Amino acid sequence: MSEHGVRIQLDRVTKQYPRQPEPAVDNVSLDIPAGELVVFVGPSGCGKTTTMKMINRLIEPTSGEITIGGENVLALEPNELRTRIGYVIQQIGLFPHMTVRDNIAVVPRLLGWDKARITRRVDELLELVGLDPSAFRDRLPKQLSGGQQQRVGVARALAADPPVMLMDEPFGATDPITRDKLQNEFLRLQKELRKTIIFVTHDFDEAVKLGDRIAVLAEQSHVAQYDTPGRILAAPANDYVEGFVGSAAAIKQLGLMHVGMLTGLAELSATSGLPTVRSRENARDALDIMLRAGTSHVVVLDEQGDPRGVIGFEDIAGLLREEVSRVGQDA
Amino acid sequence: MTFSRYLENRWDDLLEQATQHVLVVILSVVIATLAGVVIGALTWRSDRYSGLAIGTSATLLTIPSLALLALLIPLLGLGWAPTIVALVVYSLLPIVRNTVAGLRSVDASILEAAKGMGLRPARVLWRVQLPMAWPVIITGVRVATQMLFAIATIAAYVAGPGLGNEIFSGLARQGSANALNQAVAGTAGVVILALLFDLLFVLIRRYTTPRGIRV
Ligand SMILES: Nc1ncnc2c1ncn2[C@@H]1O[C@H](COP(=O)(O)OP(=O)(O)O)[C@@H](O)[C@H]1O
Ligand SMILES: [Mg+2]
Repeated sequence: MSEHGVRIQLDRVTKQYPRQPEPAVDNVSLDIPAGELVVFVGPSGCGKTTTMKMINRLIEPTSGEITIGGENVLALEPNELRTRIGYVIQQIGLFPHMTVRDNIAVVPRLLGWDKARITRRVDELLELVGLDPSAFRDRLPKQLSGGQQQRVGVARALAADPPVMLMDEPFGATDPITRDKLQNEFLRLQKELRKTIIFVTHDFDEAVKLGDRIAVLAEQSHVAQYDTPGRILAAPANDYVEGFVGSAAAIKQLGLMHVGMLTGLAELSATSGLPTVRSRENARDALDIMLRAGTSHVVVLDEQGDPRGVIGFEDIAGLLREEVSRVGQDA
Repeated sequence: MTFSRYLENRWDDLLEQATQHVLVVILSVVIATLAGVVIGALTWRSDRYSGLAIGTSATLLTIPSLALLALLIPLLGLGWAPTIVALVVYSLLPIVRNTVAGLRSVDASILEAAKGMGLRPARVLWRVQLPMAWPVIITGVRVATQMLFAIATIAAYVAGPGLGNEIFSGLARQGSANALNQAVAGTAGVVILALLFDLLFVLIRRYTTPRGIRV
């Protein structure tokens, strides 16, 4: 059984580094609901890392208050606080002189777990991050690929089952294919664990893909917009956010919609020669398949691979229109 | 007397002196390693303090050994005590310098990950930095040991232990029978011991370096 996430609140948090003309983080307030994955996205140097590191007190705030599960982090002993927060960085920082097992076991040992419990936990975590325990337990970091190292980094951060995870551009240094895979597995994992996760990236597409919510940050960590990916894409709060969303906002939105969401699929008739798409794939994939096949329709297959119906360009456009008007009503 | 006859006659004495030579070097290197690693661990974070520690041990190394021993006699008398103190002083530089360099060579991201997990600085030092710095530190210890085998001959001047006695008594009785044999036997003994220990350090380094950072 794993511990679910707790709420994190930042209340008017400011960080002024010594001898700097302006604060790196200026008066930021954010409310991060329990069990959600919130992405901080913003250009390099806008203060994402500084904001995140104030939560586990690797950086001490100049002013303001941060609470985790209602507890004021400044009132806790920093090392004790950090054992309850998983921390993953881009460079991973695995200990090269320790095996995978010993890397993962660092915090459980610190907490005085017995050997049998640690052994069970290490194997459980390796399974969770998609590494075969018998093959990887005794390996050294140098015997792992970049993607495998990052998985071990995630396993190590989860070792003592912390309710909160902080992840600073964890997949930023991996190649696009590995990154995509790590992202997918990470989403699956989070669906199961329901930790409260703060995930920093400068890649807006990654933010859209992973985030339950996105905080678009501007200079000095000013929150330009804090909302769900769908609403940020459909209704950017200002020019800054719009610039960050970049081109093809509609296409990106399609990426958030499952083909299975389409109701009233057209009857199947004369489907021979049409390409197919699975219902759990998204509307963007469906569109891509149509464009590549040079057809205006695609057959939707259910989980068993049986055809369920046909959709075309108009259906997808309609789906987008509905979504935009739904978001408009919510706002 | 031929050199081989000389060796045969004096073998027991030579062995005894060689054993003492080795003992005094090992004892001094162990003390210097403990002291040097502690000094390195206390100062590596600050350029100023580590610079001071390295500068001081470098300066100590420039004191002529006879002068240092002469200074130590009024305080510690003759024999093993002044010898060991002098040898420890001379071996600090490579050990302190390599400890500082080794601790600093640990990547900042590894230290950040360790701190981020809630490890206290002492634990980070003990569990992460020292094991990772170990190959560099042991290399410093090896250099110190090599130096000490040569320097330890000077112990004979304060009635200390070791092969220095053989060498210096040979030098003092130049021209007399066996003087050359004595000096050569002592010197060869020091060189052979130094080479043997150099080989030993290759093994020590290999077997005490964690598998994950062996090259
Ligand atoms: N230790 C520090 N001392 C002084 N300035 C810093 C320090 N760390 C970061 N900064 C500055 O604070 C700003 C925000 O940095 P950072 O939080 O690392 O941004 P991001 O993670 O979004 O790239 C930058 O202008 C950076 O130069
Ligand atoms: Mg950063």
